Amino acid sequence: MTKVVTVKRRVLAANEERAETLRARFAASGTLVANLISSPGSGKTTLLEVTVQALDGEFTTAVIEGDVATENDADRIRALGVPAHQILTGGACHLDARQVEVGIEDGGLPDVDILFIENVGNLICPTTYDLGEDFKVVLLSVAEGDDKPVKYPAIFARAEVAVITKSDLLPYVPFDLESVKSQIASLNPNGNVLVTSSLKDEGVDGWIDLLRTRLEAKRQSLG
Amino acid sequence: MSDPDEDTDADSDAGLYRYTPPVHEMGIALEVYRTCRETVEAHGGGRLKQARLAVGELSAVEPELLVYAWEAVVEEGPDVGAVLIIEWHPADQRCAACGEAKVRATGSWMRICPDCGMPLEVTGGSELDVIDLSFEAIEETG
Repeated sequence: MTKVVTVKRRVLAANEERAETLRARFAASGTLVANLISSPGSGKTTLLEVTVQALDGEFTTAVIEGDVATENDADRIRALGVPAHQILTGGACHLDARQVEVGIEDGGLPDVDILFIENVGNLICPTTYDLGEDFKVVLLSVAEGDDKPVKYPAIFARAEVAVITKSDLLPYVPFDLESVKSQIASLNPNGNVLVTSSLKDEGVDGWIDLLRTRLEAKRQSLG
Repeated sequence: MSDPDEDTDADSDAGLYRYTPPVHEMGIALEVYRTCRETVEAHGGGRLKQARLAVGELSAVEPELLVYAWEAVVEEGPDVGAVLIIEWHPADQRCAACGEAKVRATGSWMRICPDCGMPLEVTGGSELDVIDLSFEAIEETG
């Protein structure tokens, strides 16, 4: 006998429930969480290196790194004296909430003021998976070309903050910064766009200010 | 529900959820299948015949790839040949200033009104839901 059953369940409900558990945990510890998403090689780890150093002494930080292979990124963060845990996805193209939950335990990460989650380098899949973060950050290096926001609209529409990286290379590559800004504005009218060079320490202060403001706002809203 | 490899902890998400394969749609297909399997079990068990899925145009899921991944998922096991039907949900966008629905260019996610340049309000289009399913119930004996 054939039976028909109404399901009405979001496909990602299991992930979303775990993400909410994480969000509650981060609220309890007053931790601001940023989920960094970009293509490989756009400068996520380098931005994090300068960020944790700039915040040193003012706020405690920790980093969760997601990669297909190697501990390279977590090693770079640990070398700066900041707790980091590397999640190896073994081929998977994104992190999910469960991996973050397990990663925090396995890595023995302490409760900190700001937790950065560096997702697997990929502009598509990580977009769909909530990790319990306060906001998503998309990075785009000027060497990647200036048509990426319209080509990968989901992440640019969903990330509250877009960081254009490697601005020191602007004189050497064809990259229409104004066009990129207007593409992002069209996809995400309320988003922030920052232009930075981690290596030359340009624009990084704007990013640090944004983190400071977001953390303050979160703690105020938590009471 | 007696997988010998299943974790002994009280985690109901052991099994399929743990494994996220390297293709986005494959992970989604497995998640859809897991939801269907659980639903069938909750209704007495049986063989899954068909699942209907709502997919929104802003869900970042490619229907053709998803069906292809689904076919791989149900290639063997208790639900061989189960069919995945996709119901496509376009996003509706409206300009608050003009008060009109605007047609977005194919493949574009632009959220600016082409006429007056104001931000568009977007509703719907992010669906990714299992709507319903049908299954062949295990026959009652005696």
